[in-house]
Amino acid sequence: MLTVALQQTINGVVFGSLYVLVALGLTLIYGVLVQINFAHADVVTIGAFAAYFFTFTLGGNYLASIAVALVIGAALGWVVNAAIFAPLRGRSELLPLIATIGVSILLQNAMLLAFGPIPYAFDSPYSNAVLRLWGGTFITWQNLIIITVSAGTVALLYAFMKFTFMGKALRAVAQDRETAGLMGINPNQLVMLTFVIASALAGMGGAMLGPILVLTPFAGTTVIVKAFAIVIIGGFGNVEGTIIAGLLVGLIESYTTQLLNPGLTDIVVFGLLLLMLALRPTGLIAERREENV
Amino acid sequence: MKHSAAFCSALAILLTAGTAAQAQDKVIKIGGLFPMSGPGSYFGVQDKQGIELALDEVNKAGVNGYKFEVQYEDSACSPLPATQAAKRLLDQYKPSIVLGEECSDATLAIMPVMEQAKVPLLNAGSSSIKITDPGNPWTFRIMPNEVMQGVDIATNAYKRLNARTAVLLYENTNAGIGNAKVFGDTFKSLGGQILADIGFGRDVNDFTAIATRIAGVGKVDVIPTYTLEGQGLRITQALAQAGVTKGGGGTAIQLGTIWLPFGFEQKAGKAALGYVRIVQFDPTDKRELVQNFVRAFRAKYNQEPTHLNAHAYDQIMVVADAVRRGGKDPQSIRDALAATKNFSGVTGSVEFDKSNQNVKMDTIHYMETLPDLSWKALAWN
Repeated sequence: MLTVALQQTINGVVFGSLYVLVALGLTLIYGVLVQINFAHADVVTIGAFAAYFFTFTLGGNYLASIAVALVIGAALGWVVNAAIFAPLRGRSELLPLIATIGVSILLQNAMLLAFGPIPYAFDSPYSNAVLRLWGGTFITWQNLIIITVSAGTVALLYAFMKFTFMGKALRAVAQDRETAGLMGINPNQLVMLTFVIASALAGMGGAMLGPILVLTPFAGTTVIVKAFAIVIIGGFGNVEGTIIAGLLVGLIESYTTQLLNPGLTDIVVFGLLLLMLALRPTGLIAERREENV
Repeated sequence: MKHSAAFCSALAILLTAGTAAQAQDKVIKIGGLFPMSGPGSYFGVQDKQGIELALDEVNKAGVNGYKFEVQYEDSACSPLPATQAAKRLLDQYKPSIVLGEECSDATLAIMPVMEQAKVPLLNAGSSSIKITDPGNPWTFRIMPNEVMQGVDIATNAYKRLNARTAVLLYENTNAGIGNAKVFGDTFKSLGGQILADIGFGRDVNDFTAIATRIAGVGKVDVIPTYTLEGQGLRITQALAQAGVTKGGGGTAIQLGTIWLPFGFEQKAGKAALGYVRIVQFDPTDKRELVQNFVRAFRAKYNQEPTHLNAHAYDQIMVVADAVRRGGKDPQSIRDALAATKNFSGVTGSVEFDKSNQNVKMDTIHYMETLPDLSWKALAWN
């Protein structure tokens, strides 16, 4: 029983790490722009396809494909923000929100046209390589990569936000955009930077999710709903809260599968979400909400 | 003189219009309700390939002077879009017969719409028993239902594989739940034991938690699995990683039904070793009909046909057979379909019982995945 409990904890941490990576982008954008980005899921999917084609069509290294997906995600974030979101910003709060839905539909159908609907078998060289741990537990190398890359990314992002000028400027814009502008910070550049970082995280998340997900043009949408729940549970715009909530949701899913039924995981996760909205609407880390990012 | 010239011109126009209308009447309009978007869209793409190939063949010479034409609508493998697509198709295209859907939930949703419109629905891909039991007079199914498949595979698991314990693994849909229940009931009635009953949603991505749970329930002999291809791949790999199935050095054998297409093993890799499943189309079948189909499919698409391609191909051929026997409008096509006897298709024979269910069991073939990921046909039926 202890082995099973340990194994489910490992499983939960793995999936929680992936959720964190996807949810971090959402929370960054919300923290700075107070905008929900529905197209985030599709950047995840594009990241997965980028890694797939880099690895299998171009014969590249899978680990390098994670970096490729990161760059493609960042480029896509830059293009979409510059071409669609930026011109709409400031006109109405609703316009950019609706535009994200439009971009999402556009990207999904473009992928459907380009890649077709038949699931891709995306196995990285690490997908089926198993590392046996103590007491009969195990972890695949793919999952070990996911945990390591996620932890490293979170640490880098934290350091960027805390210790660099750009990170501090980003936090300033998140707190008070107008005052930050008066202090000589260009909010539009910072908004662009936020989109680029969030989309890069999504693309990288896609490259690591690809070998786990069922890779179709709709792959990202299966993760994004949970990512939204994580952002709300953690506290909208709060990075630390998102990390804790992501790991919590991953563990809840694993233990619900073990103790109840996998069909009930959504009920348990969204039950927690409703409970949080009722009892603590500001999320897990409420006292730091005013700082946001 | 002027009047008679005008009269002749009017008569000529009327005659021309009449001939054109007659020529137009010589087309059997077929509606195609298939998932073209969403996770089930791989069904629609492959169905369309099979249908287009069949149309090429039947339209060469026509049948009883009729040509066949198909209008597709995206039914999205889901009840609401399927119902909307069915209504759109009936209102705008006015087909004499409709083919589809693949997913049981969607098929069950469109059945009453078709019944109300009195247009026959020919289904090939949905296994829920509810489609033909109680069903309705306008819905026909050419594939074996969940009871036919479930009873057969559970009996074979118990008697031929000597399985005594099983874990049921299925998606939470009408078809998934129904198939698993039939297997479980039959297996238990034979003396087998169900160690765990695990349903999951179509949005589940990570199956390691499920595999971990199965690894902890004790010695499992068989794991009947009911899911679409994408999740099926990940389940098979997760079970192997957890050391449960033969593909991962364990002893359990995964069992499956016709939901998984040809080529699944190649995608799943070594994890699929020992997988035993029902396939409704065997491309290695030596019948000339099958080999002609395989050759024609390769020539047209430069790829191997799947059971979905074959099902869709057979659907058109069953309609053509009904037209050959006098079907020309929804009612006469329905009546001709009901009277179908010993139709021989690439997936097997077709003969409907009173509930419009194909009763021929030669549509069930068992296959086992070998270490080189090829199929070995099991002569179980």
